[in-house]
Amino acid sequence: MTAITIERAARVFGTVRAVDDVSIAVRNGEFFTLLGPSGCGKTTLLRMVAGFCELDTGRILFGEQRIDTLPPHKRNTGMVFQNYAVFPNLTVGGNVAYGLRARSVPSQETRERVTHALKLVQLEGFAERWPHQLSGGQLQRVAIARAIVIEPHVLLLDEPLSNLDAKLRVEMRGEIRRLQKLLGITVLYVTHDQEEALAISDRIAVMRTGRVEQIATPRDIYERPVTPFVASFVGTTNLLDGVVRAREGDVGEVAVAGTTLRLAGVRGNAGDKVVLSLRPEALRLLAPGEAAPARCVTLSGTLNEVEYLGPVTRFGVMLADGTALQLMGLMPPAASGAVAVAFDPQRVVVLGPPA
Amino acid sequence: MRAFLGRNAFPMTVFAIASAFLGLFFLWPLLKVFGASILDASGNHFTLANYITILSNRFFLNGLTNSLGIAASAAICTALVGVPFAFCLARLPIGGKAVLLALAALPLVLPSFVSAYALVLMFGRSGIVTDMLQSIGIPFESIYGAKGIVVVYTLTLYPYIVLPVTAAFKSIDVSVEEAAQNLGASRARMLRTVTLPLVLPSILAGALLVFIEALENFGVPFVLAEDRPILSVEAYKLFVGETTDNPASASVLGMLLIVCTVIALLVQRGLLARRNFATGARRSAPLIGVSPALRWLGSVYCWLVVAAALVPFVAVVVISFMPFSGPVLHTGFSVGNFTQLFERSYRPLTNTLMLATLAACGATLIGVPTGYVITRHRSRLSALIDIVATSPFAVAGTVLGIGMVMAFSSGFLILTGTWLIMVLAYMVRKLPFSVRSAGAILHQIDPSLEEASINLGVPPALTFARITVPLMLGGIVGGFVLTFVTVASELSSTIVLYSGPWTTMTVAMFQALEGTSAGVAAAAATVLIICTILPVALVYRLLRRHELSML
Repeated sequence: MTAITIERAARVFGTVRAVDDVSIAVRNGEFFTLLGPSGCGKTTLLRMVAGFCELDTGRILFGEQRIDTLPPHKRNTGMVFQNYAVFPNLTVGGNVAYGLRARSVPSQETRERVTHALKLVQLEGFAERWPHQLSGGQLQRVAIARAIVIEPHVLLLDEPLSNLDAKLRVEMRGEIRRLQKLLGITVLYVTHDQEEALAISDRIAVMRTGRVEQIATPRDIYERPVTPFVASFVGTTNLLDGVVRAREGDVGEVAVAGTTLRLAGVRGNAGDKVVLSLRPEALRLLAPGEAAPARCVTLSGTLNEVEYLGPVTRFGVMLADGTALQLMGLMPPAASGAVAVAFDPQRVVVLGPPA
Repeated sequence: MRAFLGRNAFPMTVFAIASAFLGLFFLWPLLKVFGASILDASGNHFTLANYITILSNRFFLNGLTNSLGIAASAAICTALVGVPFAFCLARLPIGGKAVLLALAALPLVLPSFVSAYALVLMFGRSGIVTDMLQSIGIPFESIYGAKGIVVVYTLTLYPYIVLPVTAAFKSIDVSVEEAAQNLGASRARMLRTVTLPLVLPSILAGALLVFIEALENFGVPFVLAEDRPILSVEAYKLFVGETTDNPASASVLGMLLIVCTVIALLVQRGLLARRNFATGARRSAPLIGVSPALRWLGSVYCWLVVAAALVPFVAVVVISFMPFSGPVLHTGFSVGNFTQLFERSYRPLTNTLMLATLAACGATLIGVPTGYVITRHRSRLSALIDIVATSPFAVAGTVLGIGMVMAFSSGFLILTGTWLIMVLAYMVRKLPFSVRSAGAILHQIDPSLEEASINLGVPPALTFARITVPLMLGGIVGGFVLTFVTVASELSSTIVLYSGPWTTMTVAMFQALEGTSAGVAAAAATVLIICTILPVALVYRLLRRHELSML
């Protein structure tokens, strides 16, 4: 168990900068997630830590020890692959014991540790089974047991849940988190599923085109995104283009969607363009004649879209100046046609100028 | 640099060995052939006279057109027979498919000239069937010549069409056909406009293999061509008969054969270039429900084809147990042919078994690691090695044999007349097969299995031994056995390279054919058939069991 330090790692494939000057410091015992769309470099970065992808520049350390110069089989990382990669020619027990045998652990101890690891992943008594007799979820557990039994410096998981069905996925991610806390192990986790990342992580690095956009806790990633990409990739949001009218310290006036808002967190000077992020659930559709709650700003527009999603309903509202807004609400609206939308300006996040 | 070498030590070693082997025993002999074709009789001066002499000679020009015409006809006929067969097998609800497929693949491992010889025994001038037909007054035309050769090729090479095309028919995604029908195409129209075009690349690929095999085959035309010139046979005859220091004429014929193959390859590539359909079937198209009559028709057709292809082999086995006096066959049972075959020595049989075993070991030892590295470590170097390692397939056995004699009769490495030169030639000829089959198996093994092993602390070379080889084992054993049996029935390079003590079964049969001991030839053919069927039958079971234990 150790901290992982990635310093200015870079790798170019042909003309593509797969990993572009990435620096990340994962703390000891932390559950750290690399989140991003496919092709953002998250898997490449994970494979760099495992040793299956070489760095063009930069370095990687486990604690104080530099490891990117070591061959992969000497790095003592436990990796869980997307397709499990359970050896079909070995039993479940043989799979879990594989890494211990490579380390010449005495057979008595090997047996004990295999039994213990299988117990941890709730596969007690499965040691004699063959992989082809197991379900996808069980194979996943074997892969995890095999990775943790060697007591790796870090546990690397490459989209481990993407081949499971939705229900099992939720169950397994809870279990991975439980194991990680139980063992106090450092985890580097790769996923493209933002909900999964929010649910499971201590911290998240959101990546795009080989670069890190933001590193923060799940809550900050969602509530305090620093770039339009992070705001729109994690959850859904309304991104509105605005112009700074005036600024005093942190507080400024921004013209947006035919109105002017007084917002905190504004940077730049008068005339600068900014992007505002407004989550759909922060917007409220007012019933006809209903007064806006205190501190709230009201905008008027036309309701042009209603999608009933079960627990919530999604509305599309077109504002007078042509801006389209998405709203999330609990109840189907009583109104149609001309409506009013209210929101608390404090829930508006001011992002930098449009990319 | 040290880190690079350390990390790439395994692939680099494999490439070094493969390059050295192919360079010395494949490229160097071919270079010798090319050199001889452009040098004068003394072997010292450049000249194009050899080409002019050969190409202005009616006899050899006929040989060229005969060879090309026969190879092209064989490709077309196998396609005409094989595509409907594959369609029935892949898409019609007929019974006994596993047996049909196994029987259809069988001619691939059986020596084709045995089939040719069986045809002579049955339909030749004094053949059993010919005599019978003539005795009841039906005149029967001779089966000698191009017609007979094409028939034999069709019956022995059609698996080259059936196997890939069956797979292609099965790999068409159901949704593509459903889309065609949904858009209003009738079933016949769908087959014509969607299904058939999608399997066309496989048909072309198979037809090319047939063309190359037919072009380079030595035994079949030797048995059936009589005095009509065929390039691969004439190259051999010229080489054996040539008295000057420089075997120029044989070399020119060899170069012509190679050029023909290369042109065929280029034509096929051109035809395929604009037809890269990777449908990646998630669910293969279902069997087509047809009327019982059509189903019956399909069944009958498949069994007839399989029977027609295998009857000659059965006939040879039966005939080999009948008494002969000279070339004349009598009814009855006798093992006289076998006693006659083995009365001088068992050496041909033991030679065949030994040489085939050694060649299969050698081809596997070089081919499997090469195939592994080509598949797993993609680079420009591996692409180049891939091309060189698979090109021996396109070089006629006689030509390679001639080249090896020229390269290793003098100089630093003298091998002519030894068993080693035969084994080396076999290894070169079968290397494409080992490399390709290793690659094919590897494509089914997820690379993350190897990465998982390395990640758990096992170094790459050891991972190859502990994870990759066990997973490949079924395929490796299968490849080994197929190499063994195809070497056992190899004639074209053997005939050039063998020397007295290293006579093989194929040569023994060849010699018996040249003489008048038809019975001995039949006995030799039977022994060859047993040598090839038995190992295949053994691994067929082993492979199935292996498959079952794997999944």
